[in-house]
Amino acid sequence: MKIRGSQTKRWVISIVAGAVASTLAIAPSQAIPVRSEVGVSATEIVLGMQLPQTGPASPGYNKIDDAMRAYFDFVNSKGGVNGRKIKLVVKDDTYKAGLTISTASTLINKDKVFAMVGSVGTQTHISIIKDINRRGIPDLFVNSGYSGFYIDPKKYPTSFAALGTYVVESKIEAEYLKANYAKELAAGKVGVLYQTDDFGRNVLAGFKQQGVTFPPANTQKFVAGSQALGLTRQVQALQAAGVTLVVIAAVANATAITIGTAAKLGFAPKWLVTSVGSDATTFKTILASQGTSGAVASALLTGVISASHAPSPGEDTDEFVIAFKKINDDFNVGPDKTWDNNVLQGMNIGYLTTAALQGAGKDLTRKGLIAFMEGKGATLSSAALSPLSYSSKTHEAYNSFWIGAYDANSVLKPIGGTRVLYTTDSAAGPITVSTYKRPAIAADALPKVG
Amino acid sequence: MDKYKNIWRKNLIKTLTLGVFLFLLSFTFEPYNQGQLALVLMLFIGVLSLTVLTGASGQISLGQGALMAVGGYSSASLITHLGASIWIGFLVAFFATAIFGLILGTAAARVSGPYLAGTTLVIALALPSVANRFESVLGGDVGLIVDFGTPPTWISNLIEVGYEQWQLWVVLPVALTALFFISNLMATRAGRSWQAVRDDEIGAAVSGIPVARTKVIVFVVSSAIAGLGGALYGLRGLVGPSVYPVSLSLTLLTAAILGGVGSISGAFIGTLIVVFLPDLIDWAISGLAVSEQLSNYLPALLTGFLLLATIIINPAGVMGAGHRKKH
Repeated sequence: MKIRGSQTKRWVISIVAGAVASTLAIAPSQAIPVRSEVGVSATEIVLGMQLPQTGPASPGYNKIDDAMRAYFDFVNSKGGVNGRKIKLVVKDDTYKAGLTISTASTLINKDKVFAMVGSVGTQTHISIIKDINRRGIPDLFVNSGYSGFYIDPKKYPTSFAALGTYVVESKIEAEYLKANYAKELAAGKVGVLYQTDDFGRNVLAGFKQQGVTFPPANTQKFVAGSQALGLTRQVQALQAAGVTLVVIAAVANATAITIGTAAKLGFAPKWLVTSVGSDATTFKTILASQGTSGAVASALLTGVISASHAPSPGEDTDEFVIAFKKINDDFNVGPDKTWDNNVLQGMNIGYLTTAALQGAGKDLTRKGLIAFMEGKGATLSSAALSPLSYSSKTHEAYNSFWIGAYDANSVLKPIGGTRVLYTTDSAAGPITVSTYKRPAIAADALPKVG
Repeated sequence: MDKYKNIWRKNLIKTLTLGVFLFLLSFTFEPYNQGQLALVLMLFIGVLSLTVLTGASGQISLGQGALMAVGGYSSASLITHLGASIWIGFLVAFFATAIFGLILGTAAARVSGPYLAGTTLVIALALPSVANRFESVLGGDVGLIVDFGTPPTWISNLIEVGYEQWQLWVVLPVALTALFFISNLMATRAGRSWQAVRDDEIGAAVSGIPVARTKVIVFVVSSAIAGLGGALYGLRGLVGPSVYPVSLSLTLLTAAILGGVGSISGAFIGTLIVVFLPDLIDWAISGLAVSEQLSNYLPALLTGFLLLATIIINPAGVMGAGHRKKH
């Protein structure tokens, strides 16, 4: 027993001695704090991003980071922003909020990013937004249209959207349905399939705001994290309910699988798809992985209604599309750089981020960047055909959408041939026609701020 | 009695010393490592629950993560819906998961080996469905947003405490309590009767140990400890199905095997390995041009390799060799 007792004592003494020694050893380095902004040096700005690079929800969205990095590399090739090169550190959260917490912690505490940019996903971002904001880290151009992130800047002062909110988009789509599918609405022939998170609920809220509700029999839902690949039951239920138009509020893979499954079941309603789930290339890629040929997938997409705040990636004469396509060709080193809406969106976020960093000035600080976004963010131009809404009262991005349908070449074209942008807010505001005229892109494809 | 008192005193000294060591360490670490250390302690509690279940009584669980989820949801529901403090949440998590363990253990006592592993695995797989069935209370697929909060003003007035450091300070006393509790329990008559059941059920029964009841009691204790770990684990930001996936259960099992099933210090070492291995890999490949796609998978790949190597070369784990020598 004595031997054991002395062993315990030695164990205790060695542990305490080790701890005290390590505390003393490190203490001097903490005594001389160096005041500089995290993630910013004389030559570099480190930005962080998380998105599903792998997993069921990744198709399409996993190209956004490569496009952003391509634009940053293009900017770096021109000397960077105020002499600083932009470095983008990306983490794969596989669209699982549990993992997002870990990847965010790594980006913040290990990679020591100056700001987060372009992070993808509503239900993933919801798990970390409070923490990011509490630390005062700029959370720019979040790839989620969930209005709850942006409409109350007191709640999330550092988060700014990259998309129009789902409420704004849905309000405009609801008005389109009321004007063009009144009979179907009155007869209870319009259904909805939505994912059970704030994305899906936000879409329903937008429709409800404009007086469009869906009968219970016509309402189907699914769990985005685990059920997105098996939606047969939901599609059969909508078919059995006899609906002739279905609104889909879902991520890209669930959207494609829903339409593909319906085709196999001989169910061919009119589809109205939320913009974030409607990219043509992603749609075809997902259906191809399910054994559907490109020609059949194109035919299924033809006539699908969607909305957008930007030009369609298939608009070859649009000056932003031309410039971004060239940058994508020259600088994108990702595994799949096929030009599509995701690449356009990634390029646009790269462009906006560069503009915001320019605007925040040479003495780059987190507070300075957020102050710029609130004060002058709304004056930034981008590839979008809608103005930005950033202010101290809201951190929403685009407030205008146009309604289109996919043609036989899988290009989203304005319904009726003429593009009309409708504008509204995420509350009870009216829907009006937008008169915004997008500023031209500079010849060198770099934003000009100040 | 003197013998137990002596063990109790030694365990108290060891636990307090470890606590002081980790507390002092929290001042020297950068926020990232403070967070990692807090994560080690959270998972360590989960691995401890396996040490009790598998190490002491020989029952195999592939669903320990689900028991952590029960603790996480119990605590988060209370915090979110009733505004309870996290400390009340821990207590409720402990007892709620104990009750859950009692129900599960009663059923589990009838099966053993792979059947028990399968039963517990089903519980883990069923979790998302339960969360979605009671969406208004459990938050569905997204879950419930909870966190460690900020230190009380009497602490923040005294000293500047970062978020990760505060996390570590909250986790530390809970982990130490669990460690002290389990260390003593394993040395008591109850703990020895569990080991008797593990080694030879018939022999234990002949010696007057009620085998079925003992198994249930172990399940209850193990569940309560797992629930406590789960409550802490959820406070990292979210309690939801994606926080407690099946892979969490497998991570706990991996840590237990790497460290040595049944060994408390092995549980700690195993947890250190699974938490810090990705950082070690990052460091090792930092100068190499490895694609993101590959580097993201490397930790899981290497952990799997380590697990296989441990099972083949040294099934008793890191601390197993020491144990064998002692005995």
